[in-house]
Amino acid sequence: MADPLELYCWKGDWGLPSVDSDSLTVLAYAKFAGAPLKVHKIANPWRSPTGSLPALKTREEGSLSQPSKIIIHLRKQKYNADYDLSAKEGADTLAFISLLEEKMLPALIYAFWLDSKNYVDVTRRWYAENISFPFNFFLPNRMHGQQLERLRLVRGDSGLEPGDDIEKELYRDALECMTLLSQRLGSHKFFFGDSPSSLDAYVFGYLAPLVKIKLPSGKLQQHLNSLDNLRHFCTNILTLYFPAEGREAPSRKMSSQPDAGDFDNEPNKRRNQVLSVLVALGAMLGYAILTGIVSIQRVHQEALESSEGHGNHSHDSEEEDE
Amino acid sequence: MGTVHARSLDPLPMHGPELGIHTDDVEVVDVEPRTKQEILENKDVVVQHVHFDGLGRTKEDILGYEIADVFNAKNFIDVMQKSHQARQKLLRLGIFREVEVVIDTSQGKDALPNGLDITFEVVELRRMTGSYNTMVGNNEGSMVLGLKLPNLLGRAEKLTFQFSYGTKETSYGLSFFKPQPGHFERSFSLNLYKVTGQFPWSSLRETDRGFSTDFNFPIWKTNHTLKWEGVWRELGCLARTTSFAVREESGHTLKSSLSHAMVIDTRNSAILPKKGALLKINQELAGYTGGDASFLKEDFELQLNKQLIFNSVLSASLWGGLLLPIGDKPTSIADRFYLGGPTSVRGFSMYSIGPQSEGDYLGGEAYWAGGVHLYTPLPFWPAQGGFGDLFRTHFFLNAGNLCNLNYGEGPRAHLQKLAECIRWSYGAGIVLRLGNIARLELNYCIPMGVQSGDRICDGVQFGAGIRFL
Amino acid sequence: MSLAAEAFVSQIAAAEPWPENATLYQPLKDDQILLSDCASSLAVQAYLRMCNLPVQVSCRANAEYMSPSGKVPFIQVGNQVISELGPIVQFTKAKGHSLSDGLDDVQKAEMKAYMELVNNMLLTAELYIQWCDESTAAEITRPRYSSPYSWPLNQILAYQKQWEVRRKINAIGWGGKTLEQVYEDVSQCCQALSQRLGTQPYFFNKHPTELDALVFGHLFTILTTQLTSDELSGRIKNYSNLLSFCRRIEQNYFEEHDRDSAGSSSSRFSKGPSL
Repeated sequence: MADPLELYCWKGDWGLPSVDSDSLTVLAYAKFAGAPLKVHKIANPWRSPTGSLPALKTREEGSLSQPSKIIIHLRKQKYNADYDLSAKEGADTLAFISLLEEKMLPALIYAFWLDSKNYVDVTRRWYAENISFPFNFFLPNRMHGQQLERLRLVRGDSGLEPGDDIEKELYRDALECMTLLSQRLGSHKFFFGDSPSSLDAYVFGYLAPLVKIKLPSGKLQQHLNSLDNLRHFCTNILTLYFPAEGREAPSRKMSSQPDAGDFDNEPNKRRNQVLSVLVALGAMLGYAILTGIVSIQRVHQEALESSEGHGNHSHDSEEEDE
Repeated sequence: MGTVHARSLDPLPMHGPELGIHTDDVEVVDVEPRTKQEILENKDVVVQHVHFDGLGRTKEDILGYEIADVFNAKNFIDVMQKSHQARQKLLRLGIFREVEVVIDTSQGKDALPNGLDITFEVVELRRMTGSYNTMVGNNEGSMVLGLKLPNLLGRAEKLTFQFSYGTKETSYGLSFFKPQPGHFERSFSLNLYKVTGQFPWSSLRETDRGFSTDFNFPIWKTNHTLKWEGVWRELGCLARTTSFAVREESGHTLKSSLSHAMVIDTRNSAILPKKGALLKINQELAGYTGGDASFLKEDFELQLNKQLIFNSVLSASLWGGLLLPIGDKPTSIADRFYLGGPTSVRGFSMYSIGPQSEGDYLGGEAYWAGGVHLYTPLPFWPAQGGFGDLFRTHFFLNAGNLCNLNYGEGPRAHLQKLAECIRWSYGAGIVLRLGNIARLELNYCIPMGVQSGDRICDGVQFGAGIRFL
Repeated sequence: MSLAAEAFVSQIAAAEPWPENATLYQPLKDDQILLSDCASSLAVQAYLRMCNLPVQVSCRANAEYMSPSGKVPFIQVGNQVISELGPIVQFTKAKGHSLSDGLDDVQKAEMKAYMELVNNMLLTAELYIQWCDESTAAEITRPRYSSPYSWPLNQILAYQKQWEVRRKINAIGWGGKTLEQVYEDVSQCCQALSQRLGTQPYFFNKHPTELDALVFGHLFTILTTQLTSDELSGRIKNYSNLLSFCRRIEQNYFEEHDRDSAGSSSSRFSKGPSL
């Protein structure tokens, strides 16, 4: 067999093989098609051969970065999960992938990157914790900017701030999309029969993060939870094709439930507040003393030695200095 | 010998021994003041040299024109008057921070016995000055940064740059001004700007990016301005509920126009004048130098003031304008006239008179407006001068009308239309003068002649601005 | 307007019948309109004809800026303004006219998916060819887009729009594609559509739906527009069932209304039938 191809992708968490939708899609497809990949799970896009993740390093054609291009390349290497599909099913695949990209992706970008609570509590925190120093200071922000730009251009809007209107519109489209997928899936195990295909990989890639990652404001998640067949579809693929991940994540992140998270933060928050007030006071006092606005007179000795008459005097002199 | 610092026009010398004629005459002469004054007044003097101290980048040829008159002085009082005037002219150039005049007797070989040397000690303005303001307005805050480079190339040119960064809009302007050496009233300027504005009365948003150049020159008593302007205008709707008539105007247009303005101003002050008259006539022709917009626009403003008894002033003003489209394209909402508001016909909401569609005012192609005001000092503030002088009470009567020119029936029909359905209002209020530029008004108005579609503001109305009807 | 207000207004709108003077606005037909805009406009016109709703077509040079979303075409019905096919379909549904009521859930899912396929692939390919292919952009697109304006505004607007479209194409990942790859994508998309259509008269057998209107709009415009090369329309001509599909819809819904425009479809710079 040929040398195994090398795939660089985001590392996983929360029971997922990867936290990024595109990486999940590629990983799932590779498993479905039986492609032997040497997978490098990294947390720094700058270490990938193309500068972005996922990236497939091939011998002949350099490195490819988009999921569609990677899948096409794997197909060319005869790792084809769509071999058994009829022409009509192939057409349906294309159509549903377009549906996902147009309706689901903008809402996902919004939910993970634009919704303030989600972004700060989950996304940015995860990236900041997992990207190595010193990149974790600016990479999350840069990615945030890139995602925002992408969403803005895709929607063609010039003014895009997180707000109720945009959110409702995006989520409405995404909820409809999920409902349609659920209707199309019905009670089958996979979208086209009993063996998974590239459409399954794409659906898995987009929906698995929603199933596994707990978001503080998760309207999409609530709706997805109500669609049982989609949820089972995702967990099914996880247990069948990524059993290792499930074992490695022994409820580690369960402790960061919203309530527990808040509780953990509480004593820290209070402590930080007290500390910052003390620091500010100390700085003010220090400045005042150093510039002479307030001076501590060494009148202690004299006050002790002198009689009460002088006590008044030193008291007055202290007042004068202020 | 003694020197005289002529800082202000003072008929008598301020101090020091008398102005000696001979440089070696050091005796102190005790003469009566009156004789001294006679001596000084009747002394024939000749101004021999004029020096400038403290010039940096200023070129001397432009200064020559300003002080040329000084050489014509015949006697000492004349010298002082003319050097004072020269000082004013030098300050007016806008390139010096301070100008001091030093008059001394002539020194040197070719000094005449009655010769005088005048030295202007000047301090030039710094090369660049900046300013930073923050402004808070209607639901918007902005930061304004200004940069001024006076006397850029040495001949009183001025370059200013202003940049305003706001929560909603950003605008900037760059302007270059050059007066003609020797004739400061004649000047030439170039402007480059981007301005955004929101007009809630028409539910319209407008962004203008433009470039203009103009010449300013006086002819006899009038002041003329010839200007060419090229503007890229972008119009848009302010809200989703904007009426369709305004929505139809959205988009980009390019206006390239030549305009001419003539101003005769004999008033004693621009705000609350006591006497004098103002006549401004403005015409603009667009379309013959390129661009999409094509029209002829005429605009005039007339104001007469007369002082009456008890320090009160009667003022009458008349405004009018006409916009004629050339060709078959209709006029744009950004070129039309608007009427109403605290600065024009009081008693009506801002620009809320005339043709409208679903609550959005579209403006009109012809209008007239007139007002009669009686200004009196505050009734309970008898003392002259002081703070109370900034206020006036005023009683007013305003009237006006606005319409479009789309009847196809000729000028008589339009004039008739303008004469029917006149909107008018009357009332009284208090006026506060702000510096020499602006005024604030608080009026109680009663609008009359209201047509359907107009929006009125009867009762108390507050207005602030520069140009009032 | 917030979504709640929109819902309220559309409820009120639902109560009013479709007026006689509903108007559709698009850029100037002969000189200005581009391939992608013409396709979208034709799709909306086809849909409204299929629903039997009368609409007048009005051409304005500033239609793109008049539209509330910045995209053409848009329709004005009463005092409401709605742009793009998706919202227009919802609007007509609120008024009680719908073409897809008879479909079951799975079919509705497929219909939506295929509509997204056309938007994702065909429309993006059209935009790519118009604005990112330098020869087409210089010869056809920029001159047409800027034709109503005078110098120098025409250059500024044309380049500004080109820059904007190129950024969007890069953002969705098509920036690295070559023209050949784009043609390949178009072929793939047509193949998928052809597969789905099969031998049926319309995509969902007997009756046309909004999907048919959308596909007709794009395919017919591509077939009847002259670009710098015939490659794009050539790719579509490979699928005969798509060609007969277009002809069928043209005959059923357009020819009976406009006798004199049947033959005027392929002049050099025309963008679609003069309806």
